[in-house]
Amino acid sequence: MSDSLLTNSLWFIPMAFVAAPAVAADYLSIPQAQQLLFPSASSFIERPTLFDSGARSAIKSHAGTRQRQDHQPIWRVEKDGQLQGWFIVDDVIGKHEYITYAAAISADGEVLGIEVLSYRETHGGEVRDESWRANFKGKSLKDPFKLDEDVPNISGATLSCRNLLDGVKRLLTIHELFLARES
Amino acid sequence: MNKKRLGLCALSLCAAALSQHSIAGEDLFGYLKGAEALPEGASELYQKVTVRDGKSVGSYQGIDFETEYEYGVSNKFSSSVSAKFMSLDTDGLSVDGYLPGAKDIGFKASGAELGMAYMFLSPAKDDLGLQASLSLDYDWIDKHSGYDKDTLSLELGLQTQKYFMEGELVWLGNMAVETTYADRAPIDNLPEDFDWPTDPEMEIELKFGTGLSYRFAPNWFVSAEVLYETEFETEVGQERWSWFAGPSLHYGSANWWATLTWLPQLAGGGEQFDGQDTDLHLIEKTEQEWRFKIAYNF
Repeated sequence: MSDSLLTNSLWFIPMAFVAAPAVAADYLSIPQAQQLLFPSASSFIERPTLFDSGARSAIKSHAGTRQRQDHQPIWRVEKDGQLQGWFIVDDVIGKHEYITYAAAISADGEVLGIEVLSYRETHGGEVRDESWRANFKGKSLKDPFKLDEDVPNISGATLSCRNLLDGVKRLLTIHELFLARES
Repeated sequence: MNKKRLGLCALSLCAAALSQHSIAGEDLFGYLKGAEALPEGASELYQKVTVRDGKSVGSYQGIDFETEYEYGVSNKFSSSVSAKFMSLDTDGLSVDGYLPGAKDIGFKASGAELGMAYMFLSPAKDDLGLQASLSLDYDWIDKHSGYDKDTLSLELGLQTQKYFMEGELVWLGNMAVETTYADRAPIDNLPEDFDWPTDPEMEIELKFGTGLSYRFAPNWFVSAEVLYETEFETEVGQERWSWFAGPSLHYGSANWWATLTWLPQLAGGGEQFDGQDTDLHLIEKTEQEWRFKIAYNF
């Protein structure tokens, strides 16, 4: 290595101080998301689900997307003993880190809403906007789940948008395969 | 820098300022380009350092520095402008027609480049991402010998990209054709019988590459890329060809990313110089390159 390499490289050190806008991390806790998605619920009954390889294969077969984790945090949501729906926390792959979100699914398998708990990507913070998340409301497995058809794309965060869309479809599949019978 | 070079440089920078060009996105690889555009209004500032090392005889080490600014003009069209610098330290090596002898130059401005790219298909939304790129490069120092040489190159490239496993596995394919006009300045005190042509020459280079990148942990990617490059010149036909392959390690976060790549030459042919002790092409290429890139998002 040339002796001058280090000296020459010092010229670029000011780049290290170039300010870039901070991108947020954790926005909501699970109890906060539960309150936002089911404001009138009286109880959230944790029902963590462990998927074996057969269950994961069935989910992928129906949803078209991998069920990566064995453990899926699921809560049965009730009001005065009556089922209101299901609250599920999920991770999908972002460009750099996992995106953690929660979905509310009705007893008959429709999306009541989603909340983004953590998002750490360079672009696409708009996934937290109510206007964007509202596109998920009412979605069921009867919908095509195509980006820019069901839900608009956010430029610079296409992978995040697509993985969130695919993730919600996978959660609806989990509801259909494993939770609907309890409704 | 003479007036001609200064004029060309100023022209390049003016054109850059007017067109605000750039080539997109986060680089998981050292050499391959992805097919994903920066979003409209987004900017990225890169610093690239490439160490070109070894020609089998004597000592040879060139270091190229490139500072690049990219801008997303629209969600599909991006542009870039680069300033290039280099240093060279070689001794005990003489290549007829290319390298008159020992040369030791420090850190010097060596060129400028403009680029643009248009994304036809998005890799995250469509089945396969497809992007075309165009770059115009002007250098006033020969990166191989360190002597004065005006080189103007135009490169047209196509990049494909596909995500697998929700984006944990990324495949890239690249192809490009580069046409170059080069004009060497005469030099004094050449070795006896040393060939140093000063007539302008035209060359065409074809480049093909492919690679896979896998995200093995949040923020971390490991990649492998393979490149084939060949150059054709008027008088000799196929002047050279080389195969390169090597690994990269990439870290990416919300605000910045960095990639370190090692790229040895595995096989090569075409013109060779007397005395080299391998079959690689080592006149214009080296036995290996190291490249480090760091970038900040705005």
